[in-house]
Amino acid sequence: MSKKVLIVLGIVAAAVLLPIGCGVSSYNELVGLDQQVQAQWAQVENVYQRRLDLVPNLVETVKGAAAFEKDTFTAVTEARSRAAQASSAAAQAPSDPAALQKFQQAQEQLSGALSRLMVVVERYPDLKATQNFRDLQAQLEGTENRIAVERMRFNEAAQGFNTRRNTFPTVIFASFFGSRFQEKAYFHAEAGAEQAPKVKF
Amino acid sequence: MLGRGLWRLLFAALLALTASRASAQDVAIPPPPERWVTDRASLLSPEARRQLDAKLESYERQTGHQVVVWIGDTIGSAPLDDFAVRTFKAWQIGRKGKDDGLLLLVLAKDRKMAIEVGYGLEPQVPDATASRIINDVIAPKLREGDADAALDAGVSAILASIEGKPFTPSSSTPGREAEKHRPSTGQLIGFGVLALIFLVLFITNPSLAMSLLFVMASGRGNGRGGGGFGGGGGFGGGGGRSGGGGSRGSW
Repeated sequence: MSKKVLIVLGIVAAAVLLPIGCGVSSYNELVGLDQQVQAQWAQVENVYQRRLDLVPNLVETVKGAAAFEKDTFTAVTEARSRAAQASSAAAQAPSDPAALQKFQQAQEQLSGALSRLMVVVERYPDLKATQNFRDLQAQLEGTENRIAVERMRFNEAAQGFNTRRNTFPTVIFASFFGSRFQEKAYFHAEAGAEQAPKVKF
Repeated sequence: MLGRGLWRLLFAALLALTASRASAQDVAIPPPPERWVTDRASLLSPEARRQLDAKLESYERQTGHQVVVWIGDTIGSAPLDDFAVRTFKAWQIGRKGKDDGLLLLVLAKDRKMAIEVGYGLEPQVPDATASRIINDVIAPKLREGDADAALDAGVSAILASIEGKPFTPSSSTPGREAEKHRPSTGQLIGFGVLALIFLVLFITNPSLAMSLLFVMASGRGNGRGGGGFGGGGGFGGGGGRSGGGGSRGSW
């Protein structure tokens, strides 16, 4: 075999093997980043679930002291069951912007109902002073804070994945796998939350 | 010509954007502390700071849990929740994998504080407990101006709840301010009775009384001397994480 043939063979081998090598490494990297997004999504679902678990207890406690605020309770309970439904249907949400938006909307309705409940409570100073209510309020505040943190971290993880996925040449190769490496969706800031949240104590 | 002008405009816009974001949201995270207790606001007396620091250092040696107290002046209008979470993340308080750190942040000028709990300690220090420690233990003493006692009692309550001792608030009703002095008078009476017994003993059997006094004094001395730090390395974060658990409060 002449030297020329060897060189040509070498170039052909490199032309074939190099993209495969690149492909394998970016595939593995995308899998890793995808796992991070999934894990972070599980955290998000966790903290929202925590809030769902907290609501019945909170409603019961407030009901005891403010029985005739029936509309507020109904609103909270309904918003809770809608949010619970949205949660159970949200497994695909990280890679489906529409599903994520639906999930977020249901959760925001619950946030709204809960904040109206807390406004109602302002009219019952005796209730506000009980240790039971104060504990529940601390739990609710902590849970809302956790939700903010985990949502932010989900967006960071999603951004990490999307950046890697959309960089050349991975972007060409990622589309070979169809929906396997679909772009991740983001949580969007809630309406009216553009300015820094006021910390109220 | 046009191209360069455009670039300059873009650059300026970008700069303005980042600058405005920085001032609105991102208060700089303080550099990682070198000790368990940092007092940038001189809120504590040096002696109290040193004692608290030694307490938390030996606590970490014994249990592995990192509990950090950081006292600063102000974070301006920045949200405390966000600041506490980012600070915890930057300092990596607690051990990696266990996430068993806890940060007590006090802002002397803002009169605000936060307890940020690592993921691993959330079962031991739930939000309600953190809130009680802030509002029922630390805040009242800070309002009275006794920062040394406030932080000492607060840290003791935090360590007790990490160890699984149920935290008992002073009382649940609004009238707790008045009730708070009652146990202290009870203690005073108990102390008076003890002193009386000792006096009787001293008259009837002076040598026994003296030896008892000696034992008590040396025992207390030992307790205080224990856990002095032996020049070992300072504080270092272990890779712990938190997720917004804990509570915030003001005084």
